[in-house]
Amino acid sequence: MALHLNLLHEEILEQRQRHRDPLKIGILLLAGCGVLLFLYYGWNVYQTLQAKARLSAVERDWAKVEPQVTEAQKRAAELTNIINTTRVLDSYADDRFLWAPVLEKISHCVAPNAQLTAIEGAVQDDDKGVTLVIQGVAAAHEPRSAAEDLRQVLLEQLGQSYREVKVEFKALDDVETVTKVDGAAMPMARYTIAVSFKGNSAPKPAPAPGRSKRKNESS
Amino acid sequence: MNLPKLNPDQIKKLSLSVIGFVFLLYVYFTFFLGPLNKSHQATEAAIVDRQRKIDTSKGEMSKAANLERQAKDATSRFSALKALSPEGAPIAWFPPRIKTLFADQKIDKAVARLESATTPKEAELAGWTKYNWLIELPQTDYASLGQAVAALENTEPLLCITKLSIHPVPDQPQFQQAAIAASTVIEKQ
Repeated sequence: MALHLNLLHEEILEQRQRHRDPLKIGILLLAGCGVLLFLYYGWNVYQTLQAKARLSAVERDWAKVEPQVTEAQKRAAELTNIINTTRVLDSYADDRFLWAPVLEKISHCVAPNAQLTAIEGAVQDDDKGVTLVIQGVAAAHEPRSAAEDLRQVLLEQLGQSYREVKVEFKALDDVETVTKVDGAAMPMARYTIAVSFKGNSAPKPAPAPGRSKRKNESS
Repeated sequence: MNLPKLNPDQIKKLSLSVIGFVFLLYVYFTFFLGPLNKSHQATEAAIVDRQRKIDTSKGEMSKAANLERQAKDATSRFSALKALSPEGAPIAWFPPRIKTLFADQKIDKAVARLESATTPKEAELAGWTKYNWLIELPQTDYASLGQAVAALENTEPLLCITKLSIHPVPDQPQFQQAAIAASTVIEKQ
């Protein structure tokens, strides 16, 4: 076996110690970590920039759509308002009480031996009930029964078209005056009849989107 | 494992390096990566928000288009109801219109007076005003009056007669005098 003499022992040891210098190793480790962190940061920056680019694209799309959306929302609100207002106006027109048919019915109820002198009518605000006060005179052999006939006919005629019809005498008095009916002298009675009823013949169904227009047919 | 023996100077430097490394990490996460991540998250949130708005807007636009189709009848009816009221103050055009209407029904004398103007109770009619009128007919006959009332109610769908009074004319019992209290709703000008 050959004999090796290491004459540079101290230099080699020094060199090895330099290689295993913890400070140097630490610095290398630190630098390695730094590089890794830098790369990770770069990756994050790249992702963020990509997200910003996507956001810009979406913002551009939104900028194109936004005026149309605002316009559509405005129009939708306007249309909703129109629909609601029209519905209320239609119900206002449909639910109102029509007087012409009542006047026509009353005219059909009056016999030749009866006369109306005054009519007062009103629609109640709360329940849309209608009240009428009819004054007049009746002439017959039995003037009171002539007035009663008028009351009965009113009850019958109004009952055909309206609900909860009540026709009652408020006053019925004999009058001294005598009048001629078909050439015969007849005693007279003065009457005041109170009439009340509900405006519509049947309860209304729920408001429908379409509108069925109710018209006066007495003209 | 043989750990190299460190002299005090090396230990000092190593300690300083460790402290420096920790500080570096702090700076890195606090001032670099943290704000970057926050910015990224905010951007992603903004994208989601905008995207949601765009998706919702498509729904809104289709809803508005559907509503437009559905509201065709209501819109034309609304226009027709609005067209019933001419421009200007109702007190300027309503009485002449009533006078003309009754004149067409052979009732020459008709006077319409404005009694009051109120705001309707319905919230939907916020842009409308309720006018209460008193229409006086000093001389008419029952048949003509009935026909005139029918014409009035048919031509004025937003007019509602609230009171009606018919009495004979004192000196001419063959004629009647009538008073009609009516209310109309008219759009505010």
